Amino acid sequence: MTNSISKKRGLGFYLHIYRMIVIQDIKSKMSYRSDFIISTVGMIATNVTGFISFWILFRNFPSISGWGYYEMLFLYGFSLISLTPVQCLFDNNWSLRQNVFSGDFIKYYFRPINIFFYYQSEIFDVKGLGQLAFGIGTLVYAWAKLGIPVTVLAVVELVVFLITASLIMIALQNAAAATCFWINNSFYVLDLAYKFRDYAKYPITIFGPVFKFVFTFLIPIAFIAYYPSLVILRPDEIPVLTWLSPVIGLIFFGLSYKFWMLGVRKYNGTGS
Amino acid sequence: MKENNECAIVMKGISKEFKVLNRREGLKGSLLDLFSRDYKTVTAVDDISIEIPRGQIVGYLGPNGAGKSTTIKMMTGVLEPTRGELLVNGAVPYKNRAKNAEKIGVVFGQRSQLWWALPLTESFNILKDIYMIPDQEYKDMLEFYQSLVDIEPLLHKPVRQMSLGQRTLSDILAAFLHNPGIVFLDEPTIGLDVSMKSKIRTLIHALNQEKGTTVILTTHDMGDVDALCRRIVIIDHGKMLYDNDIEHLRRFFGSYRTLKLRLSGDKKAQLEKLTAEIPECSVGITEDEEWITVLVDEEKRKVMDVLSQIQNSYTVRDMQLEEISTEDVIRKIYEDADRENGAASEETEEGSESK
Repeated sequence: MTNSISKKRGLGFYLHIYRMIVIQDIKSKMSYRSDFIISTVGMIATNVTGFISFWILFRNFPSISGWGYYEMLFLYGFSLISLTPVQCLFDNNWSLRQNVFSGDFIKYYFRPINIFFYYQSEIFDVKGLGQLAFGIGTLVYAWAKLGIPVTVLAVVELVVFLITASLIMIALQNAAAATCFWINNSFYVLDLAYKFRDYAKYPITIFGPVFKFVFTFLIPIAFIAYYPSLVILRPDEIPVLTWLSPVIGLIFFGLSYKFWMLGVRKYNGTGS
Repeated sequence: MKENNECAIVMKGISKEFKVLNRREGLKGSLLDLFSRDYKTVTAVDDISIEIPRGQIVGYLGPNGAGKSTTIKMMTGVLEPTRGELLVNGAVPYKNRAKNAEKIGVVFGQRSQLWWALPLTESFNILKDIYMIPDQEYKDMLEFYQSLVDIEPLLHKPVRQMSLGQRTLSDILAAFLHNPGIVFLDEPTIGLDVSMKSKIRTLIHALNQEKGTTVILTTHDMGDVDALCRRIVIIDHGKMLYDNDIEHLRRFFGSYRTLKLRLSGDKKAQLEKLTAEIPECSVGITEDEEWITVLVDEEKRKVMDVLSQIQNSYTVRDMQLEEISTEDVIRKIYEDADRENGAASEETEEGSESK
């Protein structure tokens, strides 16, 4: 009747399924042409205004905590790139609350695949790609202006730390979204986590010792751009902790996943 | 355990309890609730034992909040039973959710599980890969579907553009696509028109016959039960009230007759008045709101006697006398159980409603 041998579902399987769903998702999004154009324009406007306020700030203060214009620009570009994965791949976290509240979340239990994967795979936010392009442009421009030599090591470091930074941002959002399994008004938690990413664009040194501690150890947004940027910008004054950040990123991501799945186990659903 | 090979589902003494916070009223109350440890235990499912052989279609019935959804959630691995032993396809569903999911199909209420923006054929393609359905089996299944219903116009339509009926149909087809051993259908015909209802019933029947799929069907529509189920299980307040053949049930209520009446005037008001005037019979209105139904137990009182009483105070425009319908049987069972449980059960009903 049904196959008695349990089928193995490995990484290759998940990548394949993800690709299928994402291609279909993008295709269907493109079919709403006006919606696609408007949201693309909106995304560009958001990035441009963000950049303008950044630029105005720097016309008035040529340096912040000893950080010059191009260094800050580097930091800015770095944070934009590292925020791309969470924007593109994990955007469905924003709808988790409604899904859980309405009981629709139950459908994710009925497929023989990982629930976290299944849930996140449903949405691929194309708008994030514009942000990525903008971030890369900014970063490359700042890098060139700063005259930092392009070495293989520097590029590898950059990539590793970009991944680290992305993982931390994803972890923050996962954990914030998963609070909806326990509390009703979790939107504020998620919104707060979202706002934290704005702080990621500034050198941690401007915040004072208390927030420096908080942003390093409790809500590790300093790892999203500040510590990793130091590796490229100021290789002489890196705190030891920076080298640990890839590990910290992985741990935080792992913990946020566990927390999310704990919510899944705890969920009862609503009557139907 | 050899017996389990013949049984799709085995439940032994299954109970499910929920802890519910005793909520206080007002703003001050909700602030206090934040720190409250004042929980009460609500039993949504209470000591239920069922064995379901492969290939059977079982009607799983009960009023709203009876514990039907909770039972299905346990069988599908969403919830862990508080007590008891539950085996689905020979394995414990909660511990092997993903593995269990390979061998079951679920249509849960009116919540579509298909990809909202995608045409049905793309959803099917994704499901084919998720369930690793071999090409030939997949092709055969689609051909079989085509022989049952005209799926061609559905295939290229995005799910969000479908009517409720088309969507339900699509969801059912999707649930059977990987040829699962068991399919759970939760109110598959709710809100559908008569022709779509019958289409869906024919489809489920054909799939069950051809593929030998076990079907667990929860519904409030007795048409579904009459068309599909030979066995019914009835629960209320989490407890099992009945588990047997539908024929047996009709025989059991053999002395009952349903008197269908068309009276002049407002039906709702008549319903209330008649309920008071003939307390020994249960009075209702048919689904199409055409008839007033009076369920008479001939052992207690003759139908003609009841009819003449009614004729004294109402103008009867039309009447029919029928054997007891499944709907009436079920209503009777609910009512009798309610009378037995009395006020004591009201408390649990409140709590289990939202589960």
